[in-house]
Amino acid sequence: MSDLLQLIISGLMVGSIYGLIGIGFTTIYNVTGIVNFAQGDLAMIGAILAITFYGLSLPLALAILLSVICVGVLAAIIERLAIRPLGNSVMRGIIVTIGVGSILQGVAISGWGTQAYSLPAFTSGGPIPVLGATILPQTFWILGTTVVLMVGLYLFFTRSYLGKAFRACAINSFAAQIIGIRLNNIRVLGFVLSGFFGAIAGIIVAPIALTQFDSGVAIGIKGFVACIIGGFGNPIGAALGGLILGIIEALSSGYLSSGFKNAIAFVMLIGFLVWKPTGILGELEK
Amino acid sequence: MTLHDFRYPAAILALIICYFFGDTYFISLLVIIALHSMAAIGLSLLSGYAGQISLGHAAFYGIGAYTSALIALHIGITPWITIPMSAVIAGIVAWAVGPIMFRLKGHHLAMATLAFGIIVHVALVEMRGITGGPNGMGGIPPLSFFGTPLLFDEDIFPLVWGVVIVMILLSENLIRSPHGFTLRAVGAREHVVPTLGSDTNKSKCLVLIISAVFAAIAGAIYGHYIGYLSPGPFSTTFSVKLLVMVAIGGFSRIWGVVLGVIFVTFLSEWLKPFGNVELLFYGALLIFTMIYCPNGLLSQLGVVASNAARNLRQRTPS
Repeated sequence: MSDLLQLIISGLMVGSIYGLIGIGFTTIYNVTGIVNFAQGDLAMIGAILAITFYGLSLPLALAILLSVICVGVLAAIIERLAIRPLGNSVMRGIIVTIGVGSILQGVAISGWGTQAYSLPAFTSGGPIPVLGATILPQTFWILGTTVVLMVGLYLFFTRSYLGKAFRACAINSFAAQIIGIRLNNIRVLGFVLSGFFGAIAGIIVAPIALTQFDSGVAIGIKGFVACIIGGFGNPIGAALGGLILGIIEALSSGYLSSGFKNAIAFVMLIGFLVWKPTGILGELEK
Repeated sequence: MTLHDFRYPAAILALIICYFFGDTYFISLLVIIALHSMAAIGLSLLSGYAGQISLGHAAFYGIGAYTSALIALHIGITPWITIPMSAVIAGIVAWAVGPIMFRLKGHHLAMATLAFGIIVHVALVEMRGITGGPNGMGGIPPLSFFGTPLLFDEDIFPLVWGVVIVMILLSENLIRSPHGFTLRAVGAREHVVPTLGSDTNKSKCLVLIISAVFAAIAGAIYGHYIGYLSPGPFSTTFSVKLLVMVAIGGFSRIWGVVLGVIFVTFLSEWLKPFGNVELLFYGALLIFTMIYCPNGLLSQLGVVASNAARNLRQRTPS
């Protein structure tokens, strides 16, 4: 029983990371129609920047804040330079974002080499025993941050003027432009939000998982799987899908083989794509 | 009469010159270029002409390499037979996977093919009893020609380039055929094709099978040529690299794709001394090509060159 609890907790933890990455996918996809294959690499850059700023003996909180802002700006630059000139072709969009990911990895290799880095835990202290399972304090940070971000995003989308404009563009960008919303600004906003979420996901997982130049790839693909499970383009779906994927992965690595754990996400991906392509909660209606 | 009418003799002449005047290093690069070209030509048929993206093509390359090597190792049949056998097996896999994949379009198709590639790669790593897992397997028998094993780059060079030429010939015939017309129509305006009474799914599956067979032949020859297989070269990185080659070559240009392979291979050789800048360079090149040269980097450079030449001619008073 305590094994099961332990697995579910670690599944929830990993799942919230997938969910945050998945939300990053949806904020870009909803306003640009592009699936950003560099999403995981943004998370990696976020983590590596935070580690570097912390290494410059900045306080941890400031280092994190600075890194999140940097990645947001970086995402805006990517939109302006690589995505906006591109038009609407799906295949070219995919290839360009693969190219962006490759550049980010290249920058990480040139600047930081191929070795793995780690961030100290946000609060010190040993594992906390709960009902026979042990929980690292960082787990609470991850779950708490995720919940705060989700609620914040929900309030932003439903209460703020900018969030409403964003949703208008996601639902019908043509009509939104007619009533005077600047689509290009909203596209930049989509990338900035995606950069924020990606960077935060990368940073909060950095104390328990090592970060190196290519650690964004796997996390990015899993985030996409989370989107597909929950329903593509639907932020709540992405969060839900992430949690489901995280728990299923944790359970399968606990009770099946850990080697095949990586394949399970992709079997689920193909299964959902083929039999339930709209995901559990349904895709965003365009 | 242009170079285009003499492309086959010109290519064969160029290859003969390279064969007799190139050093061993150059020849070995050309062998690798030939193997990558085979897979890239298949991918160009699928992604370029039929417009269906694949991020998992390395899977077929890997299936070809491993099945041919395993059959040759365990049953002891000559590679001349196991290579076509592996092509048939990859074709069957494509035939089985195709109808499932092509229920999807665009991003979903890209991710499903990516997942397919990763699943095959994980299987190659995890089925330790059969594939040797991450340690790989050695002792794969080489191809032999009337009793002489084709061990060296010079020995295998005529074979691989012969196969490439045949594949180019077949692909060009396919593109010109009625099937090829349907394919190109699927790539250009998919929703129009059913109104003409053609089945889009059938023609997508057909081209997937053809491209899988091309990739598998390349992989199988690679296995017998290197003599040792590990899952590393068959990962998503290779799938992406193939797509880069096809994109730089201009997607739906068979000869352009071969030039793209040559370009990327030589570029990565030149960049080797500079350490890890390869990724940076690929990314920048991809973005530049996609935004400014949608018909391929090399053909766009050709256009720029010919425009410049025309301007120069106009400026000089005649």
